[in-house]
Amino acid sequence: MIRIEHLKKQYPNATPLKDVSVEIHDGDVISVIGPSGTGKSTLLRCINQLEKPTDGRIWVDDVEVTAPGCNMNKVRQKMGMVFQSFNLFGHKTVIENIMMAPMDLLGREKQEAYDEGMRLLRMVGLAEKVFNYPDELSGGQKQRIAIARTLAMDPEVILLDEPTSALDPTMVGEVQAVIRDLAKTGKTMMIVTHEMNFAKAISNRVFYMDEGGIYEDGSPEQIFEHPKRENTRRFVHRLKVLELNIESRDYDFIGMMNEIDTWCGKNQVAPKLKKRIQLVFEETTQLIIPMLKTPHVQAVCEYSEQTSVAEWTFRYAGAQMDLTQSDADLGLTVLKGMAERMEYSWNETDSLPNSLHITVK
Amino acid sequence: MLNINKEVTGNNLTVSLEGRLDTTTAPQLEGELKSALDGKTELIMDIAELEYISSAGLRVLLSAQKTMNKQGSMVVKNASDEVKEIFEVTGFSDILTIE
Repeated sequence: MIRIEHLKKQYPNATPLKDVSVEIHDGDVISVIGPSGTGKSTLLRCINQLEKPTDGRIWVDDVEVTAPGCNMNKVRQKMGMVFQSFNLFGHKTVIENIMMAPMDLLGREKQEAYDEGMRLLRMVGLAEKVFNYPDELSGGQKQRIAIARTLAMDPEVILLDEPTSALDPTMVGEVQAVIRDLAKTGKTMMIVTHEMNFAKAISNRVFYMDEGGIYEDGSPEQIFEHPKRENTRRFVHRLKVLELNIESRDYDFIGMMNEIDTWCGKNQVAPKLKKRIQLVFEETTQLIIPMLKTPHVQAVCEYSEQTSVAEWTFRYAGAQMDLTQSDADLGLTVLKGMAERMEYSWNETDSLPNSLHITVK
Repeated sequence: MLNINKEVTGNNLTVSLEGRLDTTTAPQLEGELKSALDGKTELIMDIAELEYISSAGLRVLLSAQKTMNKQGSMVVKNASDEVKEIFEVTGFSDILTIE
């Protein structure tokens, strides 16, 4: 078991981990996902002390690895790490790369280390490459060797830091297949990955990292199908978000339409959908603003790259006002024509209590 | 941005629109049409280059149609599929003469 309490990692110009507390149970297979720069790799590297935490404590089983004087070599034998860049020794053959650590650190006999090495090479499907040098292998093969080398130490925990990110796309599959098999062996695993489907398939638990910590921790089903928190939802659905705020009757309409235009262009929104997104914005704001005493409207457009669906949410101040129920108006007719679905809700405790959600057709 | 081009032949007026007819540009078209319709019996709105229209623009077209109903006729020409769709969802395809 790994226990982390109030882990903080600060660099001179960034703090990827602000305050992380979590328990990782034996046999957990955890996928660590999230946007770039949210401390996913840093978390792994703090666990095996490749990075010194700024603050906080970490236990692996009952050994506090953050304690001064902790025998890290001993702890690291329990924890294998697979890197993005393989880190094989170029001047040694495949089998030597695998045999080295068990012989040097665990005191294994040469024959024993060789036999075990061969078993692992067969497992990763590369027995025929036993006497090749790393340079003679493809990226995918190198990474499979690196995994075999990690397994040769028979670690209890395996940390994989973006193991397929440096690979040619054609080689991702072979490495994922090996990791997938590994995940079934009951070893505790943590894997930083950008491949959502892979994460979904192999793990029993997912950490979504954001805002300096584990923002949401749940089953793959929860994280990928029913995320509880906003940033998780946006990330897993690959949503692009545009927020526009109107705080005066004389808001910059032309500027905002241009902003929508630029944002749509940047996210490859189809031209036809772009016009509808603009039309929904124009009609809705033109309907709402004249009716508000304090023209305060927050408009958020979310576009899913996955499904090519765009949705607007308009939140606005003032008394309860359901636009969808108001009198027939040309603007409302256009709006309804452009909407697949319109839903109004009222939340008294919110500073912007009116909320109108529109799925653009 | 909206460019408005007017061409008069006797009692006929052809107005070509290019760009966007929205909240900010609709008043511009409204102003242009106000005096230009005087004494005209035929109005042709060529909207081949019109890429966007909102309800604000539709209102101006509707008001032009009402004026022309009294003194002649109005035809809307060369609408793009996207603009046609707006005419359809709003019922304008029944009010306007679209060619």
